[in-house]
Amino acid sequence: MAAQAKSGGLPRWLTSEHPLPWLFPVTSLLIVFGLYPVLYSLWLSFYKRNPATRTEKFLPSFNWNKLIGDDRVWDAVQVTFTYAVIALSIQLVLGMLIALLLDSDRKGFGVFRALMTLPLVVPPAVTGMMFLLMYDSSFGVISNSLYALNLLSPDKPILGTGSTALWGVIVADVWQWTPFMVLIMLAGLRALPREPFEAASIDGASSIQSFFFLTLPMMSKIIALAVLVRGIDLFRIFDYVKVMTDSGPGTATETLTAYAGTVYFKSANFSYASTVALATLILVLVVSTVFIKIFKIRF
Amino acid sequence: MASVKISKLEKQYGLLKVLHSLDLEIADGKFVVLLGPSGCGKSTLLRMIAGLEKITSGDVFFDDVRVNDVHSKDRNIAMVFQNYALYAHMTVRKNMAFSMRLKNIDKKIQDEKVAWASSILGLDDYLDRLPKELSGGQRQRVAMGRAIVRDPDVFLFDEPLSNLDAKLRVQMRTEIKDLHQRLKTTTVYVTHDQIEAMTMADEVVIMQDGRIIQSGSPMEIYDNPNSLFVAQFIGSPGMNIIECDVAEKAGVKSANHESLCLPLPSDAKVEVGQKIFYGIRPEHLTANKEPSAESNSSLTIEPGVVRVVEPTGPETHVYSKLAGQDVCSISRERITWSPGEAIHLQPDLQHVHLFDGQTQVAL
Repeated sequence: MAAQAKSGGLPRWLTSEHPLPWLFPVTSLLIVFGLYPVLYSLWLSFYKRNPATRTEKFLPSFNWNKLIGDDRVWDAVQVTFTYAVIALSIQLVLGMLIALLLDSDRKGFGVFRALMTLPLVVPPAVTGMMFLLMYDSSFGVISNSLYALNLLSPDKPILGTGSTALWGVIVADVWQWTPFMVLIMLAGLRALPREPFEAASIDGASSIQSFFFLTLPMMSKIIALAVLVRGIDLFRIFDYVKVMTDSGPGTATETLTAYAGTVYFKSANFSYASTVALATLILVLVVSTVFIKIFKIRF
Repeated sequence: MASVKISKLEKQYGLLKVLHSLDLEIADGKFVVLLGPSGCGKSTLLRMIAGLEKITSGDVFFDDVRVNDVHSKDRNIAMVFQNYALYAHMTVRKNMAFSMRLKNIDKKIQDEKVAWASSILGLDDYLDRLPKELSGGQRQRVAMGRAIVRDPDVFLFDEPLSNLDAKLRVQMRTEIKDLHQRLKTTTVYVTHDQIEAMTMADEVVIMQDGRIIQSGSPMEIYDNPNSLFVAQFIGSPGMNIIECDVAEKAGVKSANHESLCLPLPSDAKVEVGQKIFYGIRPEHLTANKEPSAESNSSLTIEPGVVRVVEPTGPETHVYSKLAGQDVCSISRERITWSPGEAIHLQPDLQHVHLFDGQTQVAL
């Protein structure tokens, strides 16, 4: 009787004792905004679109064959890898160094640690515009400083020159995302037990030896996790490229997602854009799976 | 090997002073135990000797060389930590060879030393395992192995046995003492376990609230505690302590607690009316079923009531109530006691300890 009164006559799977009602909100969000778009793009990628007639025809292999033969795709893969590897390396090393500096109980360091998070709250598109202004060849503070130091000449603007444009975008990414690395590394460093370091100090280890023989191996899992999270993010890079260079000059900074965006928004070839986007997803999955296997990361 | 000298050593954290002007000399090759309750500053003192804790004032000397500003890596010491502090990502072999690897010592010599240490400590079969694959006792031995391959001037042990079970603790106690007898390296050992201190030390240093209260050989401290604190801290079961007033009856002084009248040694330096603590170790209380005929004093003590009897094998501990006080006596004779029975206790007057009621200092 009591049980019946409590459930109000509802079937058991709709009562609060069953997991289903609790899982429903997030599951429905994931299905609508995660699973459905993926399946829809997969479905789209099997159609050949005719932009002139705005019609689609079911031809499963067409877009995928086109993808494999598309030089711009392979260029974009190369740019994406270059971008991800360089940005990740800089962020990792810089993040670790800053974290080591901030790993202190001394007065005032808490403020520094809090200040580190500031770049993270700036929207990436705004960061892109900020750097766009700073790179401006007539009034940009970065450009003007580099001209003054004779490192660069005004006839070769940073974002307008093929050899420097990607670096320009990477700097913005590094500025915004190094603090994220710092936070993860700091959390790891602060959680390390103190005793092994004391034992090492008594065993005769210098600070540098302690870092390489103890800190790095003890942090390896955390470092691997940080690399994974940031790495996946870097493969999806879109905002900075879109705002700062719009894939240019030429296609010098065209990453996979930027190319997908171009195909979608400029050529209105929705089915091929979906194919490029899916290719990005597959690439991320393969690279991260290999990485997880190599570094034996467990979640 | 080295002698260690500590002179006017102080440690202060902010406004809190944890060590008060300590002086201590540890002769070369001695095994010294720093003993005291939690928070008495013994580990801080050890860490200052190791160079892991900054010295507020005073000096630490190794062989008359002041080492205050010498980094711990240059002090040639070895330390065993309470929670072992092993390098979790290195095998037992690498853990033990780590200090030699840092010094770029020849690989062959490294292997020889590790083999020597592992054979002493019985770790031969575990050299290629990671610390997480070892039991507590084995980890403890690895930590010791890491220390002995160093061939250090001074060994420092910070409560190394407190994480082990009772049986293993006894076994490791013997192993550490045996190791010290073989290597004859100056050793400073911190513990709160008075049995460890008694069984292992050449010299025991008793600390309380950041001060050294008494130091000396274990038996010296056991026989002549200089304060009530030391008397109660050393010995298991602990010394019986009864708060008394000194009274005199027919020219004979006695220590009285309520209806209880305890005999005093003839040479006791007490005055009538003085408040004292009367201390007697359990083994110096003779327990009888009948009032003792040949008492060594003119006083007969009222009988107590047996509460609990604990036979340990070689001896029997009898806990009884005597004029409202809990009293323990130990006898090696096999007398069968049962709770509720009357017990006649007679102190051995040669082993009575008297402490001032105010200062708690031995009289």
